[in-house]
Amino acid sequence: MADQALDLNIDASAGRFVTPALRQRIESIAFGTATIALLLVVWELLPHVLPIQRGTRLFFTVPSRIFETLWQMFATGTIWAPLGVSATAFAIGLALAIAAGLPLGILLGRSTTLNAMFDPFVTAFNATPRLVFLPLLMLWLGIGLWSKVAVVFLGALFPLLINTHEGVRNADKLLINVVRSFGASGWDVARLVVIPNSLPFIVVGLRLAIGRAILGVVVAEFFGAQDGLGVVMVRAASSFDVNVVFAGLIVFAALSLVMTGLVKLVEDRMSRWRPQRAENE
Amino acid sequence: MQRHRSAMLGALAVMLFFAAWQAIFLVVPLNPLFFTTPEQIAAGFIDLVESGDLLHDLAVSAVPFGLGLLAAAIIGVPLGILMGWRVRIGYALDPLMTVFYASPLVALAPLVVIFFGVGMSGKTIIVFTLAVFPFIFNVASGVRAVDRLLISVVRSLGGREWDIYLKILFPSVLPYIVAGARIAVGRALIAVLVGEFFAASEGIGYAISRFGDIFAIDRMFACILTVMVIAVVLTEGIRWAERAAFPWRASQ
Repeated sequence: MADQALDLNIDASAGRFVTPALRQRIESIAFGTATIALLLVVWELLPHVLPIQRGTRLFFTVPSRIFETLWQMFATGTIWAPLGVSATAFAIGLALAIAAGLPLGILLGRSTTLNAMFDPFVTAFNATPRLVFLPLLMLWLGIGLWSKVAVVFLGALFPLLINTHEGVRNADKLLINVVRSFGASGWDVARLVVIPNSLPFIVVGLRLAIGRAILGVVVAEFFGAQDGLGVVMVRAASSFDVNVVFAGLIVFAALSLVMTGLVKLVEDRMSRWRPQRAENE
Repeated sequence: MQRHRSAMLGALAVMLFFAAWQAIFLVVPLNPLFFTTPEQIAAGFIDLVESGDLLHDLAVSAVPFGLGLLAAAIIGVPLGILMGWRVRIGYALDPLMTVFYASPLVALAPLVVIFFGVGMSGKTIIVFTLAVFPFIFNVASGVRAVDRLLISVVRSLGGREWDIYLKILFPSVLPYIVAGARIAVGRALIAVLVGEFFAASEGIGYAISRFGDIFAIDRMFACILTVMVIAVVLTEGIRWAERAAFPWRASQ
């Protein structure tokens, strides 16, 4: 402990670039990367050290083979068709959820009566895994694009709606009154106070919605679809092609991380001047 | 007064909803293959309860749900404490866990089912996999939020290491554990349903998909509504417990 403090003092007095904060960052990145690398190496070497039984070998794979499969899928282009199908359902469902969730959220945030009436439904649907409706949606919409879209829509709708609602409700009453007393119309109040105030909340909602939407695509394709990346994964699993399952998981995880990461960047920019946030999962 | 009014309005809206649902089929011809009425759902529900099927399916689903959640808490809480308490362990594990948490791990369900079978163990493992991360992340951020000043106070008043854990760490982390449990319960429900939709011979998820397959819409809705009620009771129950036990966190 004392050593460390002394060390940092020397760093600072020598005018080096390595400030304590930077050092902490370097350390966190190095440690994080090291763990992931270590895990991959151990996994890769495992079959060389431990004898893997014949039955287990059917399910066992190593990272190098997974990445090779992934590379093959991109190199031969076999991934694009199913990925496109999944992406279409994702995009339509998310777009519909935004189109419905924002106006509804604003409406419920502005009217306490409507909010009280819708609250039981929002609570019930938000608490229930939307997956439970999948057999019903398949019955109504058939096996294909639209039952997937419906699952994505239902998954993404509620985080958007709830966060928008939260943002609108948290709009500063004092600011609204000030704008009003200067003769602003209802639209002016929305434009000048309510919307800027709720934007950071909406962005948080969007981040959660993206995660839910991807989950929705995967699950819907597992049970009620004919094509899509999820279908490719299920088929691979039933023919013991473990590499393809992991490759699919990596693609979905990468998409999820990249998209939520981008939204998170926007979020951090916004919350720089606005500390409060609504988190709702 | 305001809360009273909200509750009344909510109850009214729910009743209106079911009344409208029942009424619309007085005008529109009912296609029993695809639609049903609240009356028929109620009849189906009573039928399922009387035959004991519903209770049996719920009991079958409850075992992997409970075991998986328990295992998730047993593994997740200590791991979260470790990651929050020891800074370098946090650095080392954070990125890895984030990748796991952000990726749709349900995608591994087909493999788990093939490897461990469609029975209880497979479902328990899916539940555990999905439910462990909310515990880890919530507990870790709870430990990081512990007031360092309190630790110094206990140290300077001659407290032992054990006192720090028992008197500071545990009480401050407990609300985070409960909040993690609330999120974990939601994910565990997803996991049970995924496991049972895939391949199962009993359980509430299996019941829903089987009733869908045989176009028994009334009983299917009865099961769906049961799951909805259970989900609401569990998550709102934990939320209520959070407010009751840790009122100082309610404002957050």
